Amino acid sequence: MSALRWGRGAAGLGRVLQSCGRRGLPTEEGTLGVGLGPRRSSSASPHEKDLRKDWGHVELLEVLEARVRQLQAESVSEVTVNKVDVARLPERGGGGGNFQPPRKAQMGAKGAAPQHFGRWAAKLDKEKQTMQKRKQRLEVKLQVRAQRLAQKLPKPLQMEPRLVSGQLADSLRCGAQGTPLEEQLAQALQEAPRKLSLKEEQALADREVEAQLTGQQQTLLAFFECCLLTDHLHLAHHVLVAHHGNPRKQQLLTLAMYNTIMLGWARQGSFKELVYVFIMVKDAGFTPDLLSYAAALQCMGRLDQDARTIQRCLKQMARDRLQLQDLFTVVPLSEEERAALLRAIVKARPTFRPRLRPPPQVNTSTLLREVYAKDGPVSYPKLHLPLKTLQGFFQQQLHMELTASVCVESVEKAVLTKETMHARKTLTNLRVQWEAALHRALQETKASLARQAHEGRPTLYPFLCLLSEHEFVRLLTQTLQALPAQGKSFISVAQELGRRTFSRHMVQKQQLNNQVQALERRYTQYLRLLASDTQVAEPHLPRQYWEALGLPEAPQEKPWPVPVLLQLGRQLAELLVQAVQMPRSPAAPPGSCGLIPVLYHVYSFRSFRQIGILKPHPAFVQLLATAAEPMLTFETVDVPMLCPPRPWTSPHSGAFLLSPTKLMRAVEGTTQHQQLLERCPPAELHGALDTLTQLGNCAWRVNGHVLDLVLELFRDKGCSRLGVPPPPSEAPQPPEGRLPRDTPPARKAELRREMARCLKVAREMHSLRMDALYRLSLAQHLRHRIFWLPHNMDFRGRTYPCPPHFNHLGSDLARALLEFAEGRPLGPHGLDWLKIHLVNLTGLKKHASLRARLAFANEVMEDILDSADQPMAGRKWWMEADEPWQALACCVEIARAVRTPDPATYVSHLPVHQDGSCNGLQHYAALGRDSVGAASVNLMPSDLPQDVYSGVAAQVEAFRRQDAEQGLRVAQALEGFVSRKVVKQTVMTVVYGVTRYGGRLQIERRLRELSDFPQVGGPVASGNLISPPTTGSARGSAPLARLISHTGSAVEWVTPLGIPVIQPYHQEAKFTIRGGIQSITCSKAKDSSQKPNIKKQKNGFPPNFIHSLDSSHMMLTALHCYRKGLTFVSVHDCFWTHAADIAIMNQVCREQFVRLHSQPILQDLSAFLVKRFCSRAGRLRRGAGLPARPCSRPPPSAPSAGNFDLEQVKRSTYFFS
Amino acid sequence: MWVPVAGLPPRLKLSALAGAGRFCIWESGASTRKHFPAKNHRGFSDSYPQLLPYPDFNESPSSVSKCRLEPKRYVTSRRLAETVAQILRGKLERPRHLLLECNPGPGILTQALLRTGAKVVALESDRTFIPHLESLRKNLPGSLEVIHCDFFKIDPRGGGLVRPPTMVSHTLFQNLGIEARPWSAGIPLKVIGIFPIKNERRTLWKFLYNLYACTSIYRYGRIELNMFIGEKEYQKLMANKNSNLYDVLSVLWQIACEIKVLHVESLKPIEQKLYFIQMRPRRGLFTENLTPVNYDVFFHMLKHCFGKRSARLIDHLHSLTPVDAKDILMQIQKSEKVKVTHMHPQDFKRLFETIECSKDYAHKWLYDDSMGDTEHPEK
Repeated sequence: MSALRWGRGAAGLGRVLQSCGRRGLPTEEGTLGVGLGPRRSSSASPHEKDLRKDWGHVELLEVLEARVRQLQAESVSEVTVNKVDVARLPERGGGGGNFQPPRKAQMGAKGAAPQHFGRWAAKLDKEKQTMQKRKQRLEVKLQVRAQRLAQKLPKPLQMEPRLVSGQLADSLRCGAQGTPLEEQLAQALQEAPRKLSLKEEQALADREVEAQLTGQQQTLLAFFECCLLTDHLHLAHHVLVAHHGNPRKQQLLTLAMYNTIMLGWARQGSFKELVYVFIMVKDAGFTPDLLSYAAALQCMGRLDQDARTIQRCLKQMARDRLQLQDLFTVVPLSEEERAALLRAIVKARPTFRPRLRPPPQVNTSTLLREVYAKDGPVSYPKLHLPLKTLQGFFQQQLHMELTASVCVESVEKAVLTKETMHARKTLTNLRVQWEAALHRALQETKASLARQAHEGRPTLYPFLCLLSEHEFVRLLTQTLQALPAQGKSFISVAQELGRRTFSRHMVQKQQLNNQVQALERRYTQYLRLLASDTQVAEPHLPRQYWEALGLPEAPQEKPWPVPVLLQLGRQLAELLVQAVQMPRSPAAPPGSCGLIPVLYHVYSFRSFRQIGILKPHPAFVQLLATAAEPMLTFETVDVPMLCPPRPWTSPHSGAFLLSPTKLMRAVEGTTQHQQLLERCPPAELHGALDTLTQLGNCAWRVNGHVLDLVLELFRDKGCSRLGVPPPPSEAPQPPEGRLPRDTPPARKAELRREMARCLKVAREMHSLRMDALYRLSLAQHLRHRIFWLPHNMDFRGRTYPCPPHFNHLGSDLARALLEFAEGRPLGPHGLDWLKIHLVNLTGLKKHASLRARLAFANEVMEDILDSADQPMAGRKWWMEADEPWQALACCVEIARAVRTPDPATYVSHLPVHQDGSCNGLQHYAALGRDSVGAASVNLMPSDLPQDVYSGVAAQVEAFRRQDAEQGLRVAQALEGFVSRKVVKQTVMTVVYGVTRYGGRLQIERRLRELSDFPQVGGPVASGNLISPPTTGSARGSAPLARLISHTGSAVEWVTPLGIPVIQPYHQEAKFTIRGGIQSITCSKAKDSSQKPNIKKQKNGFPPNFIHSLDSSHMMLTALHCYRKGLTFVSVHDCFWTHAADIAIMNQVCREQFVRLHSQPILQDLSAFLVKRFCSRAGRLRRGAGLPARPCSRPPPSAPSAGNFDLEQVKRSTYFFS
Repeated sequence: MWVPVAGLPPRLKLSALAGAGRFCIWESGASTRKHFPAKNHRGFSDSYPQLLPYPDFNESPSSVSKCRLEPKRYVTSRRLAETVAQILRGKLERPRHLLLECNPGPGILTQALLRTGAKVVALESDRTFIPHLESLRKNLPGSLEVIHCDFFKIDPRGGGLVRPPTMVSHTLFQNLGIEARPWSAGIPLKVIGIFPIKNERRTLWKFLYNLYACTSIYRYGRIELNMFIGEKEYQKLMANKNSNLYDVLSVLWQIACEIKVLHVESLKPIEQKLYFIQMRPRRGLFTENLTPVNYDVFFHMLKHCFGKRSARLIDHLHSLTPVDAKDILMQIQKSEKVKVTHMHPQDFKRLFETIECSKDYAHKWLYDDSMGDTEHPEK
């Protein structure tokens, strides 16, 4: 000890370790214990003793006792061992975990000591009567024994900090000897922080960029936060103290961690512990920040401390240059916490009033002014359903989300044979066993992790307490069920388990916090806006109405960092591998033969990499196949919603009722988008939030007629051409039969290749089949219901429905299965639009005018009616269409309409599409006001639709002819091969900045597809075919992006609607999480803390920018259509609405395109980039840590514009058609 | 010692390993060891290729340098060439095997081989040497054939357009009039060459996959390789159990072939040895339970085992096969404590075969094709 002290002094730290006031660490226990004992007991105040009683072993005991009960059922020998442990434990628990001689003596005197110490106690009694001396000796002996015991058993949780600073330690010691805690806190507050200048910046950086925390720190912080959630605050405090007391480990601690624990104590109103942490914060050299003070004040508010203490705290806060008002605006607080905090402040400053929440801000973007204008005609659509029905729907959805998963009947009908029934029975029996085994394994793991946590290590223990054991077991059995036959990579299993745990925990948390009831009340109110039979005072957008109904939702818990998520997932996956077993032969009765594992952790070798795979035993796979269980299980978030989604009100609340959903979808673990959105002023996002809400509010239903036909095909032999995947029975069969013994190896090799081919085909077929099975089963499940598809967006603002399997974004088949739940009468022109839509779907009359398309539809009316009446038996006209299933659905709709006495009154549910023709080029042409380009992509009015691809092909052909005449061999060879198809892909991608090389490859591929093309000339010829880019913008912008990424940050911009965009392309960095069943290596390429990937940033910029424009156009159209009462959904540049409303939608779509491009888009972009990347202020705002280099030169100004008159777009028929 | 040759474009230099004088290395770019005095060159002039530089060197340097991405070794010493030719001639066997010489380069060895009366097919990947080899062919009509072909890149995976010097073995062998021989028959032809310096390991793997699968050149029977190989890879190839170098590659090659060292040549200035080894596929490689149909399972088993080489074999068996591991170990008469590195190559084969023919199990392996390393490490 003294050597240690000396060593530290010599190191010049100037801090003397104080030996008292510290609980012994394992290594010091033996030497320190005896001397310290008496002093400790005198220094502990009675209050502290009481507290200590509650801590310590109680939790651990519960776990151990549970384990004993478990074991009693199994083995006797184990129980006896455990009994001894437990018999000893309660005593220690009861004794408060302190082994102090006086106490022991008292216990002995009372004779109440349990059997174990009985011998000693009896002896002591006897001796006491006779000899004082011997008693004292005995006391010493007892103590030694107690200490020996203490070494064996987990130590009591440590509450008092071990401090580095001598001064603080002194004050703490004094405090322990009787100074009131308030004084201690005051002293701690005034203690000048030593490392202020250095640490302050660091703390700031830590808050700003959490991604900069190392993996260890992330784990530690997550541990603390999770302890708070699961009521293991003492444990968290213990681990904090243990880390704080160890100079090496102390470096891991950040202010956020201390704040977390402090907040925990504040919520419990434990002032003493809060002061301990506060002292530790000072001791570690951090300056307390708003969060720290908020916690301290909250605690004081709860305990009703006297004004003097509070005043002192406020004074110190002012000295730290923190604003009192910020406590209420910056710090996220629940309602109840806010009240406690306010109580404390008002006591010291009776006049203080927290600043009221600012009134709901209004978006100021010029583009959106009309959308949010209070005057003018507004007719927001209502749903066609009454309030009662909608409330019922809400209850169904709520129930579904609370149970976390949905069972859906599979559309695959198994033949019920005897084997099937037997297999099902076996499985049921096995599952009962597995659940028991998993319960057992989970408890064991928890017990062992709890022990480790008591030793001061941050383990996964609190995470395993988040959900009930039952819930974990259910999660694991579901995972087992869903594991594919060929296995699944360990890392993805782990990730999924981690993610699901988080999502279930979030749902559960809301349930416990009574947020569900609050939501129910608010949602019911909200439905009055949407229901058909209720009225609201003045028109509101759904988001506005929702906001008016109450306070904004508190920001939700942040998703766990990826390393934590993976560690938890790995732990759970390990449980699954270890615990789940089945008899060697599943047919045998249980217990008759040995058990083998169901899951195997195996490695696959790809080149030089090893990939861990969880693979089910083939027998288990077979058992599942035989049982052909009729139920599929989906996570709630994978199924469409049964009631209108919660409106998006902020980047963290919207869509599903309880399950957390991201506003901006991104790869797991990416935080930069969310951070950017959270930083953005709320009103800026209104455009996006309202669009997503509105797209999600569109009610859908299943087109039963199409579903029946598809199911018929699906259950029969399928049909690849129509997109119905055939069943496995249709897969090519590998050659059967055993080979004769003397088959030469070469023949066997051939056989092997044949088998491999069959297997590959079968596997591809299987995955297609499963995809279709999920989709059709969900469709069948939702057949007679109305459902909603909540939406979110990608990082460029393009919108997507959240449920993955069944939505309107999928293939032709998927789209044909859906129709609007609400119908509209066709009106005067609706039928014509239906017919034109049908012709569009067939793809037959791409170059014809609308009139000609309509005429064609009337011409083939007989075929249409035939298709509608006898889809499978008739002339099958619909099957030849580009989009056969949608065409069929349209045929049926037309047939029904024309057979109505007055087609104008026919109520149609079918969505009619309007497609942007080469939408990317349209935006390019408009940006550059390029007349030639505008004409070729239908921005100019014209009698016939223009086809840019044909145009380019014609031009290339003209050049070719010139070259051929001059005798160029390649040009001659190409005669007759320059077609629309050859150039299409290249033209499409040229706008997105495809390189010369990429374009050459594309053309080479197309040329090779032409069957009669002389193959030799291909590579040479393709080089000569590349067409010059139509506009210079794409080329111009790429170097700009490169310039930005060279400065060390990702390219960012803001869409005209105000959505902040950041390109998520970063250099890949790997991190490895060691330990457990296997180390997990994964790449963290997706965060702003990483250096940008310059090439991807550069190449990605032109297409992403154009996509951010087309998404803006879509959003503007959507918002204006909503104001006009239309039903509107979109698939990027394809807009859908009812046949009757096509004319209105077309008008809005054109107007908004003109309005969008009337904005100085490129100038704005340029200005933003200059401000963001070329000014010092802009760079600093990004937070520390990035090696920012100033731009060497300002970005080039916007390219000069051509002379195209935008207004012409409004009159162009084929702009969207 | 790397001597730049005058008259060559600066990017392309022929450097002869004059110190040893038995091999020379072609390399593009500047030579690296300039401290060797130039007089060495003269001292060993007898081993220096006389025929260089070629007249067409200056005419098409660019086309040469394109294929010159990796350095290649050539036999340039007449003495060494004689030795090798004598070894290959061996006892007077009748009929003499056809010899496939890979990358003969300056043709020193080719000439030596021809002098022993052998029939040689020269597969040269470098266009530069072809005119010279052609001239050799004209001198000795009937016994030499020259083909522009890179033997080590034969039958590329993934298909696509195959352009010379890459070739498909089927075309090559058909053109040469070589017919497939059954595995149990004799050796159809011998291949002589030097493993590519940079890619020895990859090439070894490629041959292994082809050998066990009976594809590519091994479709034509038990083709014998006579190759110069670097010391490092040689030691790995021949490593015995308990050695640190003992690895999947050693096991697989030792099971597949009889490997004999025919000659050892030391490269003086760089303190390395080149081993001239004979790799003759074993007649009994394929058995009833180890065939080209299931060889990939065998490969996977070995890779798995050597993934954690210090572990006990039984632990690996638990995640390789559902078959009772103890039972299997008993059958191959190994203790439960046996470690991976304690297993002889043939023990592994026996282990595999034992599991393959275990009767009571419907499923013998946890491995399936989707996990397989269907493409060998070259890709």
